[in-house]
Amino acid sequence: MATNEESVMWVEKYRPKKLDEVVDLKDIVTSLKAFMRNPKTMPHLLLAGIPGTGKTTVALCIARELFGQNWKTFTLELNASDERGIDTVRERVKDFSRYSRAAFGNVPFALIILDESDQMTGPAQTALRRIMETSSRTSRFILICNQSGKIIEPIQSRCAIFRFSKLDRQAMIEQLCCIAKNEKVSLDNEAAERIVDYAEGDLRHAINALQTASAYREGVVDEKTVSQVIGEASPIQVQLMIRKALNGEFVEARKMMYDLIGSYGFSGSEIVRQMQRELFKMSTLSPEQKADLADVIGEYDYRLTQGANSDIQLSALLAQFAKVGKAKGETC
Amino acid sequence: MDVIGNEEAKTAFVDWLNNKRGTKKAVLLYGPPGVGKTTLVNAAAGEFGLKVIEMNASDARSEKAINRVAGPATAFVALDTFSTESKGSILFMDEVDGIAGNEDRGGVSAILKIIENSRIPVIMAANDPDLDKLRPLKKVSALIRFHLVRIPLIISLLQKVCQREHIAAEFEALERIAENSSGDVRSAINDLQSLGETTKTLTLQDTVMLKARNRDISMDETLRGYFSAKSLLEASMLLSRSNVDYDDFLMAVGDNLPLRYPDPADLAKAYDFVSRADMYKGRIGTENWHLLRYFYNSLAEAAATSPESYKPFTLISPPIRVITLFWTKGKRTMLDGICAKIGHLCHVSHASAKMDFIPFIKVMMARNKADGVMSWFGLQPAEVEFLANMTRF
Repeated sequence: MATNEESVMWVEKYRPKKLDEVVDLKDIVTSLKAFMRNPKTMPHLLLAGIPGTGKTTVALCIARELFGQNWKTFTLELNASDERGIDTVRERVKDFSRYSRAAFGNVPFALIILDESDQMTGPAQTALRRIMETSSRTSRFILICNQSGKIIEPIQSRCAIFRFSKLDRQAMIEQLCCIAKNEKVSLDNEAAERIVDYAEGDLRHAINALQTASAYREGVVDEKTVSQVIGEASPIQVQLMIRKALNGEFVEARKMMYDLIGSYGFSGSEIVRQMQRELFKMSTLSPEQKADLADVIGEYDYRLTQGANSDIQLSALLAQFAKVGKAKGETC
Repeated sequence: MDVIGNEEAKTAFVDWLNNKRGTKKAVLLYGPPGVGKTTLVNAAAGEFGLKVIEMNASDARSEKAINRVAGPATAFVALDTFSTESKGSILFMDEVDGIAGNEDRGGVSAILKIIENSRIPVIMAANDPDLDKLRPLKKVSALIRFHLVRIPLIISLLQKVCQREHIAAEFEALERIAENSSGDVRSAINDLQSLGETTKTLTLQDTVMLKARNRDISMDETLRGYFSAKSLLEASMLLSRSNVDYDDFLMAVGDNLPLRYPDPADLAKAYDFVSRADMYKGRIGTENWHLLRYFYNSLAEAAATSPESYKPFTLISPPIRVITLFWTKGKRTMLDGICAKIGHLCHVSHASAKMDFIPFIKVMMARNKADGVMSWFGLQPAEVEFLANMTRF
């Protein structure tokens, strides 16, 4: 099968292939390389940290360093948020460890990368723990998550845990400049700063923004272009929904909520998270008002985890916004 | 006769009524429900001035019961040879295939006896004539078969009904109702009536919830009582009496609350209670059913937030969520397919592909700079077009 190795998306094109190329993660890389020298000693790994800090990249680098060119044959990539349940995970792991039993060189196992594993429910994780035990002779797991606290203790204790912190500003800027140079894009300093501010430590986001901005104006990326791109790529519907609610147009806001759920398939918690992010960008609100509203969002974010019906919780949240908007007596 | 479809059956039945019944003393009309068997009998009786003595499945079918109702009629009715001039009677037994089990023991043989002794025509109707126990009846009866009514005939009937009831209906809506009935005229008319009750202008969109509406009567009653409750106690009592599905009810409350409380402060307070109720629902899960009382308590508090502000309003009855998800399924499936392709190549989940990639791709597309990216993702022309036309989120 012919595959197009040359990636068009810069996030993939410039994704490090070797651990040594990974930016700003010296300590983690040093420990991991010790495992690579003697793969038999490699335990299950748990990589935890906010998005876009290199967890998946490190996992893929490990796969490449262990298995070389054939890494795809010996690696099973799963994303917990895409799989329908623990049963499909179990089946796929079982099938995979059955066919990949043949060891590769001095590596006596196959690799299973389970991304977003903190999306799994408690019972599913307990089942996962069983799977890890029964397949431990033939497989090693790399579990990736945003919050290690959401992974049950028995799994944590079976893994070597690596924490990925927010990427260093300077390292991100350097990375962006390096990519720009390679792509023959002129990227000025203010523009790079603006991108990094926007990305909040998420390098994937930063690189996507850079690539889009460079497509925007024929290879010249200045701050104005970046601002335009960010504006055009930010979630406008959620902003509109917040505005409607704050204007007291509750029914309209709720209609928009259903559009987000229906037309785009967003879940309740995704919408709440976007609301939280967009709230702080709104220029019409004072810092105090933002803080109060963020508190309300936090309460309903929690209720979402307790409740049975996310529509109800979202509606109740919008109703709170409508009430605040009315009390405030102004329009946004 | 105003009975639509089944022309052959109609002719055969009228012939049989007009003394052309040959040796058979009874007739068995059979065919699927709602195609006009009962209607034909009644219409024919009206046209020929016959009195219908009717029995149906809800009457007990024991020999005793049949003799009690039908016996006198068959035994004492005048000896006249029944004709169209002199007003006579006909005995009509609907749903004879309902004869079953112990309760109806002897039912079939009682009917046979009646047919044997009867001096007036005996008409029977059944859905399924293949039942073994009906075999004795089939032997002594003329058989007339009814078929499903063709959709165009149903549509034109619905159009007539709309005209009479002053309902302005889109053709597509009537078409949907007719198709939904799959040839069952009765159900089509019922659906039209239930839709026509809330709106006098019927659009295709109104027909989405046909199935759900038909069983929603007790839900509507509960909702009306709930929203008009004058006190916490009244709301609690009502909720404890009703047996509507919790999830459906919660969804309906969520949709209708804004109509009940136009004041934002009331609305926020009421929604807060409903949100609490939903949390109890979540905590109940599959086993903690003792929490149900707190669920109801919170819901009752939502209803009693400001009883004095109650003004009657028209309920939104098909759940907005269900309607929205129905009409947007195609969009979601398409978008998810695109996200799966992106996720596969960029090692991210579908959700992350949607949030972190699609917005940027949309910006590139707007500048005609996304062709390379989209072909690398392996997007089909339909998917590219979908993205181009998609309103940004």
